Amino acid sequence: MAEQDWGSEQYVLEQFSRFYSTGAQHVEAPTEIKQREFGFLSFGGRTMFRHIGFEDTEELRRYLRNYSPAHSYFSGAYYEEPRAPMAEKGWIGADLIFDIDADHFYLPCQKIHDTWTCKTCGEAGKGHPPERCPGCGKATFTEENWLCENCLEAAKYEAQKLLDILIQDFGFQPSELTVNFSGNRGYHVHVRSPLAKGLDQLARREVVDYVLGIGIEAEYQGLTSRQVGGGSMLGRGGWRGRTIRALYDFIGKSTPEEIKALKLGRNTTRDLIEKKDEILSSLMNQHPSRIVRYIDKKSMGKLLDAAVDEQASAIDTVVTTDLRRLIRLPNTLHGKTGWLTQNVPMEDLPDYDPLTMAVAFKEGTEKVYIRRAPEINLQGEVYGPFEEETRELPLAVAMFLLCRKSARVVR
Amino acid sequence: MISEREAAKYPFLNDAVTLVEALGLTLEDLMDPGHAKVLDRAERRVAQAIMKGEASPELGDTITELLSFPVGNMFVTAMGEQFLFRRYALSEAVRAQGLLKDETEERLAKIARLEFGWTLRLVDERLDGRLYRFELLFKDYLRNAAGFREPEWKIVNRLMRGGYVLLTRREVSRLLQEEIQRRIADLVSRRRQISLPGPLGVKVESLQKVFEENRSRLTGRDLPSELVTEAFPPCIRHAFEGLLAGKRLSHMERFGLTSFLINVGMDIDEIVNLFVSVTDFDEQFTRYQIEHIAGLRGSRTKYTPPTCSTFKTHSVCYNPERLCQHIKHPLHYYRIKVRDIQREQGLESGDEAPNTQTTK
Ligand code: SF4
Ligand SMILES: [Zn+2]
Ligand SMILES: [Zn+2]
Repeated sequence: MAEQDWGSEQYVLEQFSRFYSTGAQHVEAPTEIKQREFGFLSFGGRTMFRHIGFEDTEELRRYLRNYSPAHSYFSGAYYEEPRAPMAEKGWIGADLIFDIDADHFYLPCQKIHDTWTCKTCGEAGKGHPPERCPGCGKATFTEENWLCENCLEAAKYEAQKLLDILIQDFGFQPSELTVNFSGNRGYHVHVRSPLAKGLDQLARREVVDYVLGIGIEAEYQGLTSRQVGGGSMLGRGGWRGRTIRALYDFIGKSTPEEIKALKLGRNTTRDLIEKKDEILSSLMNQHPSRIVRYIDKKSMGKLLDAAVDEQASAIDTVVTTDLRRLIRLPNTLHGKTGWLTQNVPMEDLPDYDPLTMAVAFKEGTEKVYIRRAPEINLQGEVYGPFEEETRELPLAVAMFLLCRKSARVVR
Repeated sequence: MISEREAAKYPFLNDAVTLVEALGLTLEDLMDPGHAKVLDRAERRVAQAIMKGEASPELGDTITELLSFPVGNMFVTAMGEQFLFRRYALSEAVRAQGLLKDETEERLAKIARLEFGWTLRLVDERLDGRLYRFELLFKDYLRNAAGFREPEWKIVNRLMRGGYVLLTRREVSRLLQEEIQRRIADLVSRRRQISLPGPLGVKVESLQKVFEENRSRLTGRDLPSELVTEAFPPCIRHAFEGLLAGKRLSHMERFGLTSFLINVGMDIDEIVNLFVSVTDFDEQFTRYQIEHIAGLRGSRTKYTPPTCSTFKTHSVCYNPERLCQHIKHPLHYYRIKVRDIQREQGLESGDEAPNTQTTK
């Protein structure tokens, strides 16, 4: 069977089209629709239809009904002329957008469901591909990445940390924030605020550095050897409190073995083990500069890095700094999963489960031949793993496997 | 209304501009010998910008000080040197900053709010032994501080809560300097270039000469003409070696590497071949992209590689070395390293710029 039959594109297109005949009604236009650029990828198409503009929601819905695109996007940016070529659009401003994608994380579950193969020598392995192929030293790989409830939970956790930073530190109102499940492996957070709209690229890069904790230096977190007054920072807002809380937790919960494993300076390691309670009580009751005497400069850097990692939110750096980025339109289908990109009210986020909520093709079954797929938990049931077999599956599962090009319809 | 002295200190403020306009001076008036002092002071302002990058205030004669500012602007506009627009604006902004830092908190707040639209609150808070007197909304903060390279200006290293960044008085005046610089740069570059008559034209000409004498000192030394791969900074070396091994580079790595190679003088064909031979990129498309970055197409601007801080954000910065602590730009690293290498090889006698013909 020829390669391009994997995924049964024509079938999937028909299903998308069937979906949009009623589903398009539920697509809401983004605010200021007339100033937004839209972009779509069609099935089988390799280039994006960009520079599309709509006058109103109805026109947008009609487009979705007529073309049933595999992927639908809109711009975070506002333009005078969204239909004009890029240089003539007239940029007015842009929402502040964050993309959290479990693809960028390092998670134990990826060792179960992701694989890589070296294009040069065929060496293969689990999880993320290595920097260089251990077999031949080259660095060109094919990757097969899947996802599971684990990855999605991890992505959600990062989104929650991000929301906390945006509200507590940046002072955005919850009503200015929107959280969307991306329809695949992550979440998007949009900030629509007059304070965010005009930020230039440099400013957005600073926001990214803030969220990721890039460039944090001990000295400016109060961990200075200068004689300064002041009390504990444990309860402080911003990174000030976050780093100190993380240090406190970290030192508090680490066993002597774990501390030794960090390979800190000799005296620091000894003090962290022997004077642990003293250090913790200093952090609790006094200014953080008080603990500098126990921890040498290099070790402090390492400890801080570990602390920051835990507290930062793992956002994509490119999406947020791109002033003209297109981002998925809520309530449209994701062509690589057959799931919905879906708005999640902030108060529902803790209990939100995309593997049941974002499923679009809820009814019916389909018979498919599957070449290979790991286990997948969908709508509360576990399916697979599959290996070269024909199965009659619920439509949601069949569509998911088809969209990932790991199966084809059997007629 | 603003006092004459205040206007002389801060002649770019809206009230000061109104005051000058009310005097209704024409070009003719300025050419009158009675205004020679104004022209002299204006010339001095521009000359100080060129020579020192910082004008010193002369508040003894406030009206001359005030009037010489728009005249100095006129000189700079007439000279039509992009580089000088920025340098003059900086020089005037630094002068103003020197005066601002002795103003009261209330006065600073008033200028910041009324002239530059800042959302600023007065507070009184001690942190790490420093006294913080202001809280500034992050968007106003970032507009001015996002370009600063010192770590203490990064918002991660500041106390920010509810969108407000804690600032000392000195820091507020430093941020105001940025606003002032932008305003003045805008003033001198926005106007149309004109040729000035009589004594005004004479002043412009003599300033032009001063500028030419200083041009090469100000615009910096050149890079060597030969490519010295051993002098690549760690980030570029990492991306370069990754590319050779067939690694799929991120957009930022690709852009950073390409613009770096172009800037250090690698041949376009060579770069195209490099990309085509190790990836499955289409030659025509690759060439188009590279020529675009080299400024041979499209907007015709030659791109310089991103700064270290951009590389850090996008995790392109890789295993920074000792030298990295003292530089802000990968090209800067390259420049220093090339000089070190050449010196080691005995190609260089002193700390003269590389690739000059004077080596013995
Ligand atoms: S500090 Fe700058 S030059 Fe050094 S590795 Fe990082 S990005 Fe490259
Ligand atoms: Zn290999
Ligand atoms: Zn997983």
